[in-house]
Amino acid sequence: MVPRVWSLMRFLIKGSVAGGAVYLVYDQELLGPSDKSQAVLQKAEEVVPTAVYQFSQYMCEQTGLKIPQLPAPPKFNIRESWNSGISTVMSALSVAPSKAWEYSKEGWEYLKERTK
Amino acid sequence: MSDSELGRKWDRCLADTVVKIGTGFGLGLVFSLTFFKRRMWPLAFGSGMGLGMAYSNCQHDFQAPYLLHGKYVKEQEQ
Repeated sequence: MVPRVWSLMRFLIKGSVAGGAVYLVYDQELLGPSDKSQAVLQKAEEVVPTAVYQFSQYMCEQTGLKIPQLPAPPKFNIRESWNSGISTVMSALSVAPSKAWEYSKEGWEYLKERTK
Repeated sequence: MSDSELGRKWDRCLADTVVKIGTGFGLGLVFSLTFFKRRMWPLAFGSGMGLGMAYSNCQHDFQAPYLLHGKYVKEQEQ
């Protein structure tokens, strides 16, 4: 009798966890249109750092430990870095033939001077 | 379609892909832990479904350039 009740309880707990996860996804419309996903991502970007900071402060108060003050991460913009990388590569490719011609000419002049 | 609009569409597409793959992975993880005895296939299935849904959304977005997209603005308390 008790093992059956325990297995039923386990099934109900697992079912409620899984059902809660599905309901959360449905309620927040995470698998919906792309506008809503973008809004959810922006909201998460605003909420998560403050929540993590408050949780760390709470843990410090409860345990008495002090987390060392880490330096602020450098501002790294992926879009700017990518765009500047693409521009650099493309400009290098565009001047490559003329530069190759210049360097080969200089090399030829140098060899001529040496063999005189 | 102007370059800025195209850039916004790509941004929306990437954000949507990240959210959908994460959601699919998360749901797969929950189901794997609760009902499927920690097997790997629910995670792969969920991630794949999320990726497919994101791809479909992106495809509709790029193939329908005249549909307008709104922005969610927070209500300001007066």
